[in-house]
Amino acid sequence: MNSNILLAAGALGLAGLIAVGGARSASAETDYIAKYGIKADAPGMCSFSSIDAKDYSGHELTILTHAVPVMGEPAALHSKQFEELTGGKVNVVHAPFGELYQKVMIPFQTGQHVYDIVYGGSYWIGDWAPHLAPVPQKYLDLPEMKDVTPAYQGVASWNGQRLQYTVDGDRNYFKYIRPPFEDAENQAKFKAEYGRDLEVPTTWEEYAEVATFFNGWDWDGDGELEYGSTEIVQRDNIAFSNFITRVASYAKNPNVTGGFWFDLDTMTPQVNNPGFVKGLEMWMAALKYMPPGGINFGIGEEIFSWGGGQSLMSVTWDDAFIQAMQEDSPIRNKILVGTKYGPSMGSKKVWNRVANTWDEFETPSVAPYVAWGWGAGVSKYSKEQEMAFDWFCFFSNYANTNHDLLIGRFGVNPFRTSHMDPAYWEKEAGWNTDVAVSYTNMLKGMATNTNRVFDLRVPGVNQYYTAMMASVSKAMAGEMSAQAALDEVAAEWIRITERIGVDVVREAYKNVVALEDNVSLSAVK
Amino acid sequence: MIDSRYKHIFLFPALLVLVAIIIFPLIYTVRLSFSGWDINRPGLDSVGWRNYARAFVDGGFWNSMGTLYQMVFFCVLFEYTLGFGLALLLWKQVKAGRFFRLLFIIPMCVTPVVMAVVWKTIFHETLGPLNDILSWFGISGVPWLSEATPAFISIILVDVWQWTSLMFILLLAGLMSLPKEPYEAAQIDGAGPIRTFVHVTFPLMAPITIGALVIRLIESSKLMETIYAMTSAGPGSATETTSYLLYIRSLREFQIGYTASLSIIYLVIMIIALALFAKLLSRALIGRSEART
Amino acid sequence: MRGARVNLYSGLKYGALIIWAVFVVAPFLWALSTSFKSDNGVTGGATYIPFLEYEPTLDGWAALFRDTSSGGISMQGPYLASLIVSLVSSGIALALGTLAAYGLSRFTFRAGPLSNSDITFFFISQRIMPPAILAIPYFLLLQFTGLLDTHIGLILVYVAMLLPIVVWVMVDFFNTVPTELDEAAMIDGCNPIQAFYRIILPNCGPGLVVAGLLCIIFSWSEFFFALTLSFAKVQMLPPTIVILNSNKVPWWSLSASALASVVPLVIVAFFLERYLSRGNLAGTIRE
Repeated sequence: MNSNILLAAGALGLAGLIAVGGARSASAETDYIAKYGIKADAPGMCSFSSIDAKDYSGHELTILTHAVPVMGEPAALHSKQFEELTGGKVNVVHAPFGELYQKVMIPFQTGQHVYDIVYGGSYWIGDWAPHLAPVPQKYLDLPEMKDVTPAYQGVASWNGQRLQYTVDGDRNYFKYIRPPFEDAENQAKFKAEYGRDLEVPTTWEEYAEVATFFNGWDWDGDGELEYGSTEIVQRDNIAFSNFITRVASYAKNPNVTGGFWFDLDTMTPQVNNPGFVKGLEMWMAALKYMPPGGINFGIGEEIFSWGGGQSLMSVTWDDAFIQAMQEDSPIRNKILVGTKYGPSMGSKKVWNRVANTWDEFETPSVAPYVAWGWGAGVSKYSKEQEMAFDWFCFFSNYANTNHDLLIGRFGVNPFRTSHMDPAYWEKEAGWNTDVAVSYTNMLKGMATNTNRVFDLRVPGVNQYYTAMMASVSKAMAGEMSAQAALDEVAAEWIRITERIGVDVVREAYKNVVALEDNVSLSAVK
Repeated sequence: MIDSRYKHIFLFPALLVLVAIIIFPLIYTVRLSFSGWDINRPGLDSVGWRNYARAFVDGGFWNSMGTLYQMVFFCVLFEYTLGFGLALLLWKQVKAGRFFRLLFIIPMCVTPVVMAVVWKTIFHETLGPLNDILSWFGISGVPWLSEATPAFISIILVDVWQWTSLMFILLLAGLMSLPKEPYEAAQIDGAGPIRTFVHVTFPLMAPITIGALVIRLIESSKLMETIYAMTSAGPGSATETTSYLLYIRSLREFQIGYTASLSIIYLVIMIIALALFAKLLSRALIGRSEART
Repeated sequence: MRGARVNLYSGLKYGALIIWAVFVVAPFLWALSTSFKSDNGVTGGATYIPFLEYEPTLDGWAALFRDTSSGGISMQGPYLASLIVSLVSSGIALALGTLAAYGLSRFTFRAGPLSNSDITFFFISQRIMPPAILAIPYFLLLQFTGLLDTHIGLILVYVAMLLPIVVWVMVDFFNTVPTELDEAAMIDGCNPIQAFYRIILPNCGPGLVVAGLLCIIFSWSEFFFALTLSFAKVQMLPPTIVILNSNKVPWWSLSASALASVVPLVIVAFFLERYLSRGNLAGTIRE
């Protein structure tokens, strides 16, 4: 009799404990949502609750990241959260973009091992590769990682290893303000002047016509002059990306493999072939329809200019687009992205560097640029690698990424397939349906396109790019012709390749060719 | 005179500190210039004179020296003339003189690299105040940062705005330390202000002049941060100075060894040029005043 | 006639002063106005007057003090660090530099064909090398001595950077100050160093104050070494502010930070100016 009562009491007690325990963990889950402003704590190794369960007290991480807010603010924010959850200490050091490279490389090259985690342009992977620790398999098996699009997984890989932990994905794409295209008066005037209908351009030639038409008058009635296109041209800023965007469709041929920047066999630079030259010539002519001072615009000016409604079109980063979709932007929800043929301007004639002739295409061939985006990795000299990878895991878990994507200034841009759902943007960001659909279609187009262009991700990339932009900016300033400038670049690239070592660069460039030709690294000869 | 046995105690502490801290980097830079330290090859290997050979035919480097000399010439010329003029105006008792003096010192108190970004916003061709104000006077759309000559001028403008204060303060302090006798003598002679200046003030200020000019020449030759913030050496390479070029080559491109050789060449040229300049100037100014007395 | 000429001269004089004053002040006024703006005050074109042309906000200023995890730059710590490093390195540079300058001014040194003016020139020529070149050697030097990312390491580097200026300015200054005072100091019977610091130096007002001001300015505004030789523990003000000049530049916080960074130096300049204005200092030595 007594044992029965004991048993019953025990069972009740147990049930009570389970109930209370269950209630506590349920309220703990709610705590994260309320406390950290996330929408939901997706379960898994990287979730808030999993990280909370870890104890890193007595351990310290030092992270070098970009300035606030782009990448710097989310890094600082999530570091603070990580500290609270795990009891560890996280030092976040910021550096302006122009100095980030040397702040990372000097310690690496002098054996002074300070940072556990480094952030930078993912195109520096060729220089960083000897110093990064590969991402352990258990993180690669995470659903968050598998959800990363193949292109961005490729961008984070080097010689078969995943060296960068994907936290961001970038691209250059075409964006435009919509109402002027739909205005009947504009359509009539355009037709009268150019003999064809006013349509959203699909090639650089059409882009030039439309931009010229809309250049230098007040087409939105705000009392200020507007212009055709805003681009990033300032030399040692990130103009190289804009240059790539401009030349890609003329020089990246869907029928040619074996290298876009170099011919992989001979390592001859291709930068002065007629495709590149044509792209540069079009860009030089574009100065006429950029706002005054456009030749000196860095990304900051571009964001202010296009995001503030000063120009009709732009083919650059997400930043200006996100700026334009801010609550107080004059052009919020009045913009669209991409053309009917792809994310960026195409060309009906593409240079074939093997056949030495221009290939003709019925519909414009588009070569979108998978821009470098933020790359981050764990230093292989770090003594806290487990903590570092857990930090990354936490930083880019579903909850945090979905939160960060919505805050434009954070600089976290879509990189997972799950980010390509228009409903997310509509519901969470408050975008109009057509804007959300246009944006996600562009993202999907990027992911499925097989004619993409990537950065020159080899050791010494800064030398190649600086030489390239030094001459290109001279051409833009009218100091020399496009052909002469690019010939200068090619000559300098040959010298650089010799200095760094032809075989070193070739081996590295194979990684890029694998991405360009959509094959695995081992398939590249 | 203080006992000259003690002369070394005066000089050596500073000299020792300087040598200890400066000499190593200098010697290391020379050693670097003979190495091929590059982005994928860190460390001190030996490549002989290869870097120097390459430096002598580096068009960009020599162009930047030319650009630098032009810039420095104009900057220092304006800063000296304006600084001296302002110092003369505020030397004697002037209404609100103290206010003006304080005001004129302030520009050099601003952190140059930060102020350069503010200037960039001022020179912004559509969103900045300068073109806006000019348009009230009918001058429209000056391409301050997008064309070679205006860009050049805008860099000089920023430098002059900031560093005239330095010349001003050095020359003013110098003026205030001048002895009274020559002026009393000049007044007795019946000399007017211009003659007093040419024959009394300017010669007496000769050592300060040389000192101020040399300091300012050295400092302005390092002109980098303003260009970095405003034009990135653009448009094209119109505002590319040697300092900026060296920065890009070493800390962006990591051609450490090669840049070391460029900087040694630069250092040698600068030392020779400055030494010649100082000697010539002192012979011209001080020599002349000695002839007068 | 004479009156008219004096008036014209006076008018020109004040005219010139006012023009230059406007030129000096204008960028500060622009920075002040811009520091209260937000996106809308900038993207529509140049605006000047708050409330009339744009909605002012304190966000630019607030961002200076906010933590980085909420989008600010948290400049209080770096502000203090820069103050301390500047004052300490300036103090050391002044102490050692004036000593050396006096020696170079009063005595003759010979090292083979090189003499005083060459030694002085050696000092100032240390300033010719652009900081970008010295970044890596100094990095290695501090790494070797274990002083990377420490305030002391930075102070040492700054002292080496400031000594040349002090020596250069003070040698000129000592050269214009006559030697009677030295003799007076010696008669008092102290040893030379004591004589120097107790009697001679206090009478070198203008030169000392100018050299001091230059030291503080150059060390406070120093950007390059502060950036390259520090990682996590040492945060100085210029790199903290320049961080704002990355990607989309927030005109407002940048303007606010420019103004904030000027304040300590203006205070120093104020005292300098007062000192200079206390009559013609040369007079005290004459008598």
